[in-house]
Amino acid sequence: MAIDGLVILDSTGRPIVQSGFRSTSPAYPLLHIEALNDALSKAPRPADADPVLYVPNTGIDGPSACCHVKRGELRFLGLMSGDTDPLYVFAFLETFISILRDYFGQLSAETLKENFDVVYQLLEETLDAGGHPSTTSINALKDIVLPPSLLSKVLSVAGVSGLASPGTNSHPFASPIPWRKVGVRYNSNEIFFDVAEELKAVVNKNGGIIVSSVWGKVHTNCRLSGTPDLLLSFSNAQPLTDCSFHPCVRLQRWSRDKNLSFVPPDGRFILMEYKYTPGGVHHVAVPFALKASVDCEVNGGSFDVALTSRLTTKVLENMNVELYLGEGATSASCVVSNNTSWNFDPRTRILHWNIKAVSPSSSFSLKGTFSSTAEQPRPSHAFRARFEIPQHSFSSLKVDQLKITGEMYKPYKGVRGRSTGDVEWRW
Amino acid sequence: MSGLNLESFAENASRLGTRLQETISEHTRDLSIARASSAGYLDTPEEKVRLIRKQLDSNSDREKLDAMKRLIALISKGRNVSEYFAQVVKNVASHNLEIRKLVYIYLLRYAEQEPDLALLSINTFQKDLSDPNPLIRAMALRVLSGIRVPMIGSIVVLAIKKCAADISPYVKKAAAQAIPKCYSLDSSHQPELITIISTLLRDRSPLPIGSVAVAFEAVCPTRLDLFHQHYRRLCRTLIDMDDWGQVDLLNLLVRYARTMLPRPVITEDADGQSEEVDPDLKLLLSSAEPLFQSNNPAVVLAVARAFYYLGPPSEMKKIVSPLLRLLHISPEIERVTLSYILVVARSSPSLFTPHYTSFLVRTDDIRQVKKDKMQLLRLLISAENHQALLREFIYYADDSDDDLVADAIQAIGYCARLVPESTQQCLTALMSFIQSKHDPVVANAVLVLKSLVQLSLHHHQTLTIASTSGAYSPMAIISRLAYRIEEIRHPKARACVLWLVEWAPDVLRKAAGFFTKETPYVKLQTVTLAAKLLVLCPSDRTLGLLNRYVLSLARYDLNFDVRDRARMLGSLLSGVTSVLHSDEDGHEDQGGVVLRREQVKMVLFEGKQDVSLDTGIPVDDRHALLGSLSAVVGRDLTYDSYLPDWLEEGTESSLRDSEYDAPQVPIHAQPLPSAIPRSIASSSKNTPVILTPTGPSPSGSFVRQNGKSDWTDLDKFYAETESTEEEEGTEEEAVESDEEEADSNEDGDSEEEEEGSAEEPDTDSVDEGKGESEDVLHHAR
Repeated sequence: MAIDGLVILDSTGRPIVQSGFRSTSPAYPLLHIEALNDALSKAPRPADADPVLYVPNTGIDGPSACCHVKRGELRFLGLMSGDTDPLYVFAFLETFISILRDYFGQLSAETLKENFDVVYQLLEETLDAGGHPSTTSINALKDIVLPPSLLSKVLSVAGVSGLASPGTNSHPFASPIPWRKVGVRYNSNEIFFDVAEELKAVVNKNGGIIVSSVWGKVHTNCRLSGTPDLLLSFSNAQPLTDCSFHPCVRLQRWSRDKNLSFVPPDGRFILMEYKYTPGGVHHVAVPFALKASVDCEVNGGSFDVALTSRLTTKVLENMNVELYLGEGATSASCVVSNNTSWNFDPRTRILHWNIKAVSPSSSFSLKGTFSSTAEQPRPSHAFRARFEIPQHSFSSLKVDQLKITGEMYKPYKGVRGRSTGDVEWRW
Repeated sequence: MSGLNLESFAENASRLGTRLQETISEHTRDLSIARASSAGYLDTPEEKVRLIRKQLDSNSDREKLDAMKRLIALISKGRNVSEYFAQVVKNVASHNLEIRKLVYIYLLRYAEQEPDLALLSINTFQKDLSDPNPLIRAMALRVLSGIRVPMIGSIVVLAIKKCAADISPYVKKAAAQAIPKCYSLDSSHQPELITIISTLLRDRSPLPIGSVAVAFEAVCPTRLDLFHQHYRRLCRTLIDMDDWGQVDLLNLLVRYARTMLPRPVITEDADGQSEEVDPDLKLLLSSAEPLFQSNNPAVVLAVARAFYYLGPPSEMKKIVSPLLRLLHISPEIERVTLSYILVVARSSPSLFTPHYTSFLVRTDDIRQVKKDKMQLLRLLISAENHQALLREFIYYADDSDDDLVADAIQAIGYCARLVPESTQQCLTALMSFIQSKHDPVVANAVLVLKSLVQLSLHHHQTLTIASTSGAYSPMAIISRLAYRIEEIRHPKARACVLWLVEWAPDVLRKAAGFFTKETPYVKLQTVTLAAKLLVLCPSDRTLGLLNRYVLSLARYDLNFDVRDRARMLGSLLSGVTSVLHSDEDGHEDQGGVVLRREQVKMVLFEGKQDVSLDTGIPVDDRHALLGSLSAVVGRDLTYDSYLPDWLEEGTESSLRDSEYDAPQVPIHAQPLPSAIPRSIASSSKNTPVILTPTGPSPSGSFVRQNGKSDWTDLDKFYAETESTEEEEGTEEEAVESDEEEADSNEDGDSEEEEEGSAEEPDTDSVDEGKGESEDVLHHAR
């Protein structure tokens, strides 16, 4: 009554990796895959397929469902039966994906095929046959399942592949701290914090903000020797709310004085996530303005959009404005300002407008018409604009200092900000 | 040590690597055998497949490894390679760890299909259980428990027992994971397995506890009494466990609390509410609360579940912002979380009312998400926020997604009924929708207007609509709708208008003109309208003719419902026309109908005022539990997990006293509770049928209730215990000598003592290895 197994599908919907479905018939995963592919083909947008698909009549007694997420070209399926919490399955899928990323870097059907033996070992270690996740901490896993390192490749070329293992995995869980290995050594000790924030907002046609929120993540890349105990303090931590932390963070310390005290895992991890809630002002401002008029006529319509940056110093990069032109839209033709490009995807019926860089207080325009087979076209009532602002954070969160105890060296520290936005602008 | 050296070696090597690899890749490009990448294995040609057998038998480790990788590749392509089982099994004792791991993976897949061959290698597995490497020990146990041959059940039990006493927590965890498999293989091992579970429960390492909880749920979900002694310690360890263990243990503790702890008492006095919460329950909630900040959504939900089902009302608001936080993690998690928020919001919408902006629909939301958000917004309508919500609804009515449009327009109607001040605004919006060019908008608006009219008629113009405006009185709405009948295309909406209209010969004239082209739904209403008009005005000649025309068309209609209706009305009317007095015509409004005693009129006109308030809340998921599939897919699943209701009194809190936190209370003082465990154990030994559920993982509470009814008869209960005491004592002894814990227990038949005192040797031996390290780990949380 839990996670029955995991299947990874390639872009065409064929399984490349699947865990052993020991307690069920061989048809069981196939039924799920078929149900999923069926649902995907029926949905008007692929993203519209319900992420939790109820799959009846699978031959086992009790209900079963297929939880799926898409990452890159791959689709990960968590098959579950019984009245389990689908959130449990999604959390596991998410964890498994991040493990794969950590092991192989970029995720693609190709990398998985190259390293299938590692993938299978990982499956075996992370998901117990009874359907409950077992070892998912990356540092502990690396003791058990060797990542495909250059060394092992070199050794296997030299024909001594088996020798690489006995030293490293002598004692899984020998470390007193589950998320950190013992005896980590680096020549140069460094730790990097990437503060990535995302603005999500809905704006009405007059530019009034209906809802906006900023969510931030502190990505950390830790390359420190030994077992350092860190204390990270921010100079302006007060507006951070709804925080969640990596298990290494001492929660009590945070609730006491908003300082992060932790023994970091080795390598990349997300230290904390937070919501930025500015005091006083209700909303974080949207860094651009959009003036749009869309007119629908019989079998088509026209639109006129103007975009202006509201920033004074920073540049909005990779601005991408989308408009769904409605059922039956067949083509569009536009005139755009210099340095911008547009295209219309007839399959998804979405008009894209890309601006590489919106420099401070510059403005751009998009004018055009579209045609549709529908007599009364119903384009979406909102533009979706996505953008990036490098070296910027909405919360202007500042790291005050990083103290290290337990080790003698002085590490190199790096802090970087990075912001993205996803704004729905209604017209 | 050696690991350390190798680490640094590895690092140096990887530094060298970049340069090395360039040269090596140069050299190996044409050496196909020495390909570093494994991609080659996936496209194994057939002749290579034939080679596998030979490779497996060869002496070279490299050959074997190569063959094993090929096999795993074939498995991942979905090919059945069980034919190589015999060759693979031989390699199980290989000294090369890499090969061995792959062999184990292979065996785990096929041990079930080839039990006889797997049995051949059992000796190796048993030997591996004493391997110095914990990884090998754990893997051996995993394979051993994966061989599904009932015959070896007792060997597996012994192996589990051995591993449960291992020093490595990793192996202990593997032991806990093996328990449910062993149980499903042969349920007659239940007593031994329960003993192992209770041993494992005493373990101080947080690692295996999650798996122990899982094993408990599978093997003996009714034996919650095993937890008495450990409850408080488990609550405190919660924070140090891994994510998955936290989820499993929390769900178990919630069930424990519901069964064993007293319900929080809420008393109302002069200065508001005061709550009385059992300290043990408080302990659970307070130790779970920090986990709201976990980065694992499943943990956050498990904590929310604990608060929702156990917490007193004042604590309930704590679940709001963690749940809202989950909405931002990913679209999939948003989808699941929304359905849980719906479950909570149905019982207490006020919790989420201030946060309604979190549920505003975005155009790129998944379809199901839009649906759930609309339901939520509907639930959250209040006097304060109805203006903003109404604006949103009106905006959604223009969306390109028809389902959203329908939901939004219905929500507007709902809002009109719920908040009287908004009625005027809602009606304006709805009437403007009727002018829309888009079919679904018009259709839904008409349907909603219909139910509003019905409702206002129901209140006899005294309430809401009529009182707010003259322009939108029911009659005005009806006449506006009738006026636009030609433009309303949606069949259901057309039928709806026809049904509403009572005195509009012109509408009938129009409808009769289109009669042949209509759907049966509209035809039925047209016939009915004709009949109604004739009843109101039997003497009118034009109406009579129209009636005859419509009825005769209907009589020869293709749809038998329409024919049927026409026949029925025809015969009804034949009596009416002669009876009805002509002085009644001209009365347009419903209120003026004085001829209530006239049965025909009753038949034709009554239904309109009888309206049930539709709340927009599906009734079918009332049973849905927070954190269950049924809440997410909106189905009432037969295998619903079930959360027991609170026990009336709760059990003695002294039961949970243990030497860890308090001076021990002499357990002999309470004969009944201390004997409960024994009663279950004995009954399960004598008559395993009672406690051995039929399914592999029984629904615990169901069995529990059976057990409880047995205990109500005290005499019977004691009689049973006494009769089994003898054999039980000896069995216990046997078990204990196996466990090498005999020294902890001097007295064979006082098992109560075993629970408490047996912990001492355990804590000593286990903590020697871990004690120091756990201090380092110790969280200041």
